[in-house]
Amino acid sequence: MSSDGNPIPDGEAGFSTPVGSRRTFMGWVTSGLASLIGLGLAIPLLGYMISPALKRRVRPWVDVGNIGDIPPGEPKQLDYVTTIQDGYVENRSHKAIWAVKHPDGQIKVFSPMCTHLGCGYRWEAEEKAFKCPCHGSVFDIDGHVLAGPAPRPLDLLPSKIENGRLLLVFKEFKSGTSQVVEL
Amino acid sequence: MASRIYKWLDSRLNLKPVERTLLDEPIPGGASWIYVFGSVTLFLFLLQAITGMFLALYYAPTPDHAYDSIRFIETEVLFGAFVRGLHHWGASAMVVAIGLHMLQAFLYGAYKPPREAMWMAGVVLFLLVMVFAFTGYLLPWDQTAYWATQIGINMVGTVPVVGDFMMRVMRGGETLGALTLSRFFAIHVLFLPSLLVALIGLHLFILRRVGPAGPWTDARAKLGSETFYPRQVYMDAVVIFGVFVVVAAAALAVPFPLTDKADPSDTTFVPVPEWYFLFYYELLKYVHGPLEPLATWILPALVIGIMLFWPFIDRNPARNPIRRPVALGSGVVFLVVVLSLLGLSIKNLYAVPRADPSVARGKVLYGEFGCAGCHRIHGAGGAMAPDLSFVGDTRPDREWHVKHFKDPQSVSAGSFMPKFPLDDRQLDDLASYMLSLKKAP
Ligand code: FES
Repeated sequence: MSSDGNPIPDGEAGFSTPVGSRRTFMGWVTSGLASLIGLGLAIPLLGYMISPALKRRVRPWVDVGNIGDIPPGEPKQLDYVTTIQDGYVENRSHKAIWAVKHPDGQIKVFSPMCTHLGCGYRWEAEEKAFKCPCHGSVFDIDGHVLAGPAPRPLDLLPSKIENGRLLLVFKEFKSGTSQVVEL
Repeated sequence: MASRIYKWLDSRLNLKPVERTLLDEPIPGGASWIYVFGSVTLFLFLLQAITGMFLALYYAPTPDHAYDSIRFIETEVLFGAFVRGLHHWGASAMVVAIGLHMLQAFLYGAYKPPREAMWMAGVVLFLLVMVFAFTGYLLPWDQTAYWATQIGINMVGTVPVVGDFMMRVMRGGETLGALTLSRFFAIHVLFLPSLLVALIGLHLFILRRVGPAGPWTDARAKLGSETFYPRQVYMDAVVIFGVFVVVAAAALAVPFPLTDKADPSDTTFVPVPEWYFLFYYELLKYVHGPLEPLATWILPALVIGIMLFWPFIDRNPARNPIRRPVALGSGVVFLVVVLSLLGLSIKNLYAVPRADPSVARGKVLYGEFGCAGCHRIHGAGGAMAPDLSFVGDTRPDREWHVKHFKDPQSVSAGSFMPKFPLDDRQLDDLASYMLSLKKAP
């Protein structure tokens, strides 16, 4: 944008075209103001573009039912509906988790997805085991792998009991790894 | 560093002549602060283009999501309100800049031969910008957007024979809805920008072929000319920077809130168009009945036609304003009419008593809590407790009402009015309703 120092073509420029230090000064002011505008736009626009990308989804505690409804020693599937915020879209989604009440009253909640490749598994009451129909993984009532390709025990979800209601935070985990990796 | 890269490129691409054409264009009579408006308009167009692209990152052009996506930009995205503010106030600034640019060209007689085509391209650019404004206004899909657009489209319907057809084409169907929104969006962000860029190219191409008009007296022009760079560029930069500061300050300081989400079934909403359409909105109030088409399309078509072909209507070869009394006189009359209509409409706008939403909510509460069981308003309701028809006149003190609702006996001993479980907002709404019950509004 600067033609500083170039010889001014003869005849084309009139006598009033600023030369020398005046010309340099105007050149500097012009570039200075242009850079200020550029910065004034670039910083907000960059933040504007990046900020939602860095936002971590806040996962709320959701109420999934009465603890009285869960028989001790017998895993029970609990259904609930949750709203998932996807940008400006609110999605309602059905989730079904497995809750196990131990005789001491402790409740464990398992993510409904098999740790192998993410199929939904079932509780087989006669065999006293969770079985995955896809590739035949088998888990015991505590989620430990008994058989099949599953690389790790069933994933636990954070849960708590308040006023007789079971609350949990729904999370999803990467399947197929021996480590637990939250998505 | 930059200059070394430049030298390297120059030795290969031979850039010096390009630089000379761009920067060393002679300006007859020298640089001037009055020549800045074209550059300012171009800058504002770039600002609109950039902020528009960024808004499109999150905007969704469907009735389901348009409103929510704008709200998302406003509340969830960092600098979202600022970027939207820049786009909104930038549009207003652009209309002002174009107005001043046209005024300058008119005053200097810059539309006269050989620059007729440049003027005409400019008028088309101006019209395109107005279409930009009209299509952009609908996109937030809030009540104002919806109903203002509804009115705009209905005006087109008054054109004889083809009106109905044009209305349908604009809406993409029988009613204003999903298809309208997506076509307004496509026109706003795809069709118009390409057209505008092409026409700006044409406008500037003509400028470079015929050169700027310069001062209106040949004597002054002969005093000398100077090149575009550095002084004119410097002046342009200073004013552009000032404009940017003003637009950014407006974007930060003047909130531009969304109204409620568009509700096609709510016909009570009174929309207000953008200020640059206001003068026209005002005009429509004075023309009724059989004369209406005169205002809705005959007059606008006439004005646009005259503007477009002005270089051929005004055949006076003189450029000095003093020797062009007729042209200047008509220009002044036009400006005075437009500005007084604008002034009038702004005045009327503020004179309209705005319905206070809290009064309406208070009225609903009055019904819900069964107040009419004991109180009477204009003959409706029980007669056991005081008549409230004009309670706003007899008890004009808001505090008194709030206290009274909280605990009637505290301000009115012996009252048998029960305490109602009201929260602060409900107390306030109910008090607003009480105060609105007056003889004279
Ligand atoms: S997904 Fe469950 S065993 Fe493969």
